[in-house]
Amino acid sequence: MVYVFDGTKIGFLTALLIAFSDPVAIVTSKQTQIPLGMTVMQVHNDPVRAKKAEERLFSFDPDCLFDLDRLLRSGMQNNEQLAFRYLRFIAQEKRPVSKRLANPDVFAAVECIKKVGLEIHKMHGFIRFMETASGALYAPFSPDNDICDLILPHFRARLPQFPFVLHDVKRKKAAVYDGTSTFVAPLAQADVLLSADELGWQSLWKEYYGAVNIPSRKRLKQMRGYMPQRYWKFLPERQESPPDL
Amino acid sequence: MNLLPKKIGNFFGLIYEQMFDFCFLMVYNRDMISEEKLKILTESAKYDVSCSSSGSARKNAGGMGNGYVAGCCHSFTPDGRCVSLLKILLSNDCIYNCKYCPNRLDADVPRATATADEICQLTIDFYKRNYIEGLFLSSAVYKNPDYTMEQLLLVVKKLRTEYGFHGYIHLKGIPRADERMMTEAARFVDRMSYNVELPSEKSLKLLAPQKSKESLLTPMKTLATQTERFREEKRKGFVKGYFLPAGQTTQMIIGASPEADGHILRLTNALYQKNGLKRVYYSSYVPVVRDKSLPEVGAGQLREHRLYQADWLLRFYGFSVEEIVEENENLSMEFDPKCAWALRNMHLFPVEINRAPLETLLRVPGIGAKNAYKIIEARKYTKLTFEDLTKMRVALKRAKHFITCNGKFFGAKNEHAVRGLLTAAETQESAEQLNVFGMLSTPQNALIALHGQL
Repeated sequence: MVYVFDGTKIGFLTALLIAFSDPVAIVTSKQTQIPLGMTVMQVHNDPVRAKKAEERLFSFDPDCLFDLDRLLRSGMQNNEQLAFRYLRFIAQEKRPVSKRLANPDVFAAVECIKKVGLEIHKMHGFIRFMETASGALYAPFSPDNDICDLILPHFRARLPQFPFVLHDVKRKKAAVYDGTSTFVAPLAQADVLLSADELGWQSLWKEYYGAVNIPSRKRLKQMRGYMPQRYWKFLPERQESPPDL
Repeated sequence: MNLLPKKIGNFFGLIYEQMFDFCFLMVYNRDMISEEKLKILTESAKYDVSCSSSGSARKNAGGMGNGYVAGCCHSFTPDGRCVSLLKILLSNDCIYNCKYCPNRLDADVPRATATADEICQLTIDFYKRNYIEGLFLSSAVYKNPDYTMEQLLLVVKKLRTEYGFHGYIHLKGIPRADERMMTEAARFVDRMSYNVELPSEKSLKLLAPQKSKESLLTPMKTLATQTERFREEKRKGFVKGYFLPAGQTTQMIIGASPEADGHILRLTNALYQKNGLKRVYYSSYVPVVRDKSLPEVGAGQLREHRLYQADWLLRFYGFSVEEIVEENENLSMEFDPKCAWALRNMHLFPVEINRAPLETLLRVPGIGAKNAYKIIEARKYTKLTFEDLTKMRVALKRAKHFITCNGKFFGAKNEHAVRGLLTAAETQESAEQLNVFGMLSTPQNALIALHGQL
């Protein structure tokens, strides 16, 4: 059976309880093509049972709720199914299973969790702030996973005097630091007025990027491997069709 | 603007309200470096190997920035290298005449010198936009070593105190400058490096006569001792602040002089053991300048690659330098150093993947540190088979000749066959690498090539 939930943690935990002993369960919150012959069940959130399930899971593996959070944030098509099979395995074994990498369910879930963590790390590097006329910083980006609030603390720690907005344009939401507190809010579009110097610094940065490259050592495959092309549209140094491609 | 929810609407509203006030205040920044100067000073610094920003946990103390212990790459250039630090020279106007260097006194190249404020403002504004993780500042020796070091010290001091910058700073030390300035600089920066340049005193005399082994090694040793003392006093609570939290590194040119890999690695090993260096960087020599004392051909990137592999074995795999290569011999170009060691020690293999201790797994060709740890964990729950290893994405092309899984062996029948298969595998890989390496040795790039190594 296909168990469709609302994408929240409570919804997922409810689905986990209902689908627990179904050997061919598919757990999802996305509009997916239903396999032939499968029936669909809409999962209705049950916060009380979900809370209990959460406590049990925590008692089996204190780290698994962190893992669940990462899995639900993943942009992979089957992330919720991976989370289901992984957490069900923990519940069956009643202990942590994350080191049993020879198990395909564990391996797939661990890889998925790692990918989310890796993107957080990458975004610490690839976020590009623009300085607005008020001095606040604005960074639009489009991550694979839902992580805008997870990368915020890093920037808050190093730029405590600058209000900033991390705008996930794909999910139409933003993580905001207003100079004192932080919050997440829906944000479809932002009209930003740049500071007088902003374009000057951007152009110096492009000059630097061009000068620090060694043209005879062309390793575009390696560059793309480290810095995938889908991230480029928010990087000033790679926005305009660069001559090296 | 109506698309914005109220809270953010206010936030941006603020920008709009204050916009007019700010427009009058914004004047073109006086300290913005010119594009031309930035280009000259970057081009002169870009061949420097190190770009690491790891190892410092410096805290934000007001102002801007902090350390990122794991290090952070902010961009990648089309040559596949990471951009982490703003790598720049304060000046490329050199009084020295090192034979291999394109910025030497006699060379006819455009010269530029930046002001302290230009460098500080550039660092601040790049950092604020998250373009960089910090500054890597170096300089040619202009006027004299003391004057140069004084200028460098001025920049880092200003950046930390006046500009309130707490991000990463890597400073390249100037040999023969007053030791007190070096010690003072160490209080402000995260990492310092004095470059060994060439692997022996004899080669230095020949190619860089104004430098000597002693002038390069003494500052390194002094800093190592001072770091040790500072940490001790900090533990006791006598001092506060930082003293090179990310340690020291160095760099040497490979192939401009006749030293064998065995000699180079022994020097490296001594630097790690005695001076507590974090990294030794190798840079293969590219013929830029014609001189009868310099070789006609470059060392090639494969040799550099092999040295790095051996360096990793020393630092992370528990190998001793004696196991890797004899003092007057070179590393094998055919096999990577771990493979070469394993082939010399076939009597120790194959090892059983389900029983071998970590130290042994680390010595299996093709199994890296991460995979060794993965195997150790996974085998606690099940007897690992060859298929399990594949599922865990452990690369087995090389490893299969040196391991058994549950007693089963999947490698070649005898040592001779192993060598054959490994050579085939290696050639295929190297061919891809060399394809890239081959592009390096064009003289025109080499023009500025070695400056960064100073």
